[in-house]
Amino acid sequence: MQLKYYNLTLLMVLIILFAGCKKINDATIPTAPTVLQNDCIKRTLGPNVAGLNIEFAYAMALPQSAGNIVSAEVEASIAGAPGTYLENRSFYTNGSGQDVGITVGSPSVTTDTRTVVAFTRDTCAATLRYYYTVPDEARGKSVTFTFSATASTGETVSYTMGPYTIANMTMKLDQVCTDGKACYLSIADLALYDSTAAAANPGKIDLVYLYRVITGITFAHALVSPAASPDYLPGVNLPTGVNNSTPMVKTWALNDQNLARLQYGIFIDDADFLQKDFINAPNYAINLKAQAGAWVETADGKYRAYIYVNTVNNATKTMTVSIKRYQMN
Amino acid sequence: MKKYLIIILSLFLLAFALVRCSKDYPVDSDGLLITSRAECYVSNFELLGSDFQTVRSGAAVIDTTALTINATVLYGTDLKNLYPQFTLVTDAKLDPKITGKVDFSDLANPKQYTVISGNRKVEKTYTIFITIQSKP
Repeated sequence: MQLKYYNLTLLMVLIILFAGCKKINDATIPTAPTVLQNDCIKRTLGPNVAGLNIEFAYAMALPQSAGNIVSAEVEASIAGAPGTYLENRSFYTNGSGQDVGITVGSPSVTTDTRTVVAFTRDTCAATLRYYYTVPDEARGKSVTFTFSATASTGETVSYTMGPYTIANMTMKLDQVCTDGKACYLSIADLALYDSTAAAANPGKIDLVYLYRVITGITFAHALVSPAASPDYLPGVNLPTGVNNSTPMVKTWALNDQNLARLQYGIFIDDADFLQKDFINAPNYAINLKAQAGAWVETADGKYRAYIYVNTVNNATKTMTVSIKRYQMN
Repeated sequence: MKKYLIIILSLFLLAFALVRCSKDYPVDSDGLLITSRAECYVSNFELLGSDFQTVRSGAAVIDTTALTINATVLYGTDLKNLYPQFTLVTDAKLDPKITGKVDFSDLANPKQYTVISGNRKVEKTYTIFITIQSKP
C-alpha cells in the first residue's frame, strides 16, 4: 500500500517538474528601426476650453548613424490664438523628477496654422512640447493637429492627433466680489458691477453678493437673486429695475480643476450644464465658503453657469469666484 | 483502508445532505432577511442639503416613545431639496424608502416615516418636525 502511494507521489512530482520546465517563449531582442520615427501624446486632461492651452509632447528620432533632425512642425486645422508655440527645447526628467530642457532649435515661428522649429543642434532624437492656445472661433468646433519632422536624410514623418472637440462654454477666472461695491454679478457679461453700472444694465444682473454677520444665525458670504426674499438681502438697496430671479443649486467640493486650479482631477464640461435640473431650486445661497459653488440658470434660461468660490475674506468682505458658463440657445 | 474510506465518504454525504435540507432564511418583498429581532426604532437622524452638507443647527431630538423627530435647521435652508438619512436598529427597514430629494417645505403637514422591525411584525411611524433657525 505504502509503495503504491509513494509511486503516485513520485508521478505527481514528475508532472509538476515537467510542467515547470516547459519552454514558453523565445526571448528576442527587438531590432531598432533604421528610419525616422515619431510619436505623440496629449498631455492636458479635461475639456478643451477657449483661452486655455492644449499641450502635446511630440517625440522624433532616428539612428545616430543615419543622420540628424532638421526641423519639426505642427499644423492645426484652426489657427491657434496668440500664445501658441512649439517648444525649442527637448525635455527629459532628471533624478529628482524635474523636467530639464535642452535647447535644440531656434524659437518656433507661427504662420497662420503652421508652427515650425528649425533645429540648430546636431541631434538624432528630441521631444518637443506644443502648446495650442484655443481661439474663440474654435468654440464648438473640432480641431486636428498634424505633427511632422524632417531628418537630414530627407525623410519626413508625420503623426495626426485629434479631432478634439472644443467646448462651447466660456470661462472667467478670479472675479472679486466686494460687499457694497462690485457686488452685482452678471452671468451674461461674466462681470461684476457696482450699483451705478447695475442700474444702467438692470436686466443683466443675476446675483448680488453680500457678506453679513448676524448674531444667532450663519449668513456670512452669500449670492442672492435680486428677486429673492428681502430676508436674504438685509441692508441691500437694489438699483431700480434689478429684479431677476436666478435659480441656483448649492454644491460643496466640486473643485473643477480649470476653476480651482487645485490638484483635483474634476472637470465640468458642456454636458454637465445640459443635465442640471433647476426645478424647485431656490434663488439664493447663503453661508458660502471657499471650495463651495453654485449651479445657476439665468432668469431668461439663456445661460447656465457654475460659480466656484476660490477664496473668501471676512475682513475685507470679499469673495473671489471663477465661473464656467454655457449658452443654452 | 477501504473501511475508513467508506466511513469518510458517508460522513461527507451526510454533512452535504444536512446542509441542503436546512430551512432557508425567509426574506421579505424587498429581498431583505426577516430575522427574529422585534426592536423597532430610529437611532439617528440627519438632514443634508443639495450640497450634501448637513443643514442641522444641532443634533436632532428623537423621541422613541412619542415617535417624533425634532430637527432645527440653519437659517436659509432650502426645505424643498433635502436628503433625509435615518439610522435604524439592526435589521429594521424604513417605509417609504428614500430614493432622492424630499420636500419638507410643508411644515403644517410634517413628513412621516414608518420603521419596520427585523421580524417584520412591529411597525412604528415617526413624525418629523422641522424648525428653521430664526433671526434674533
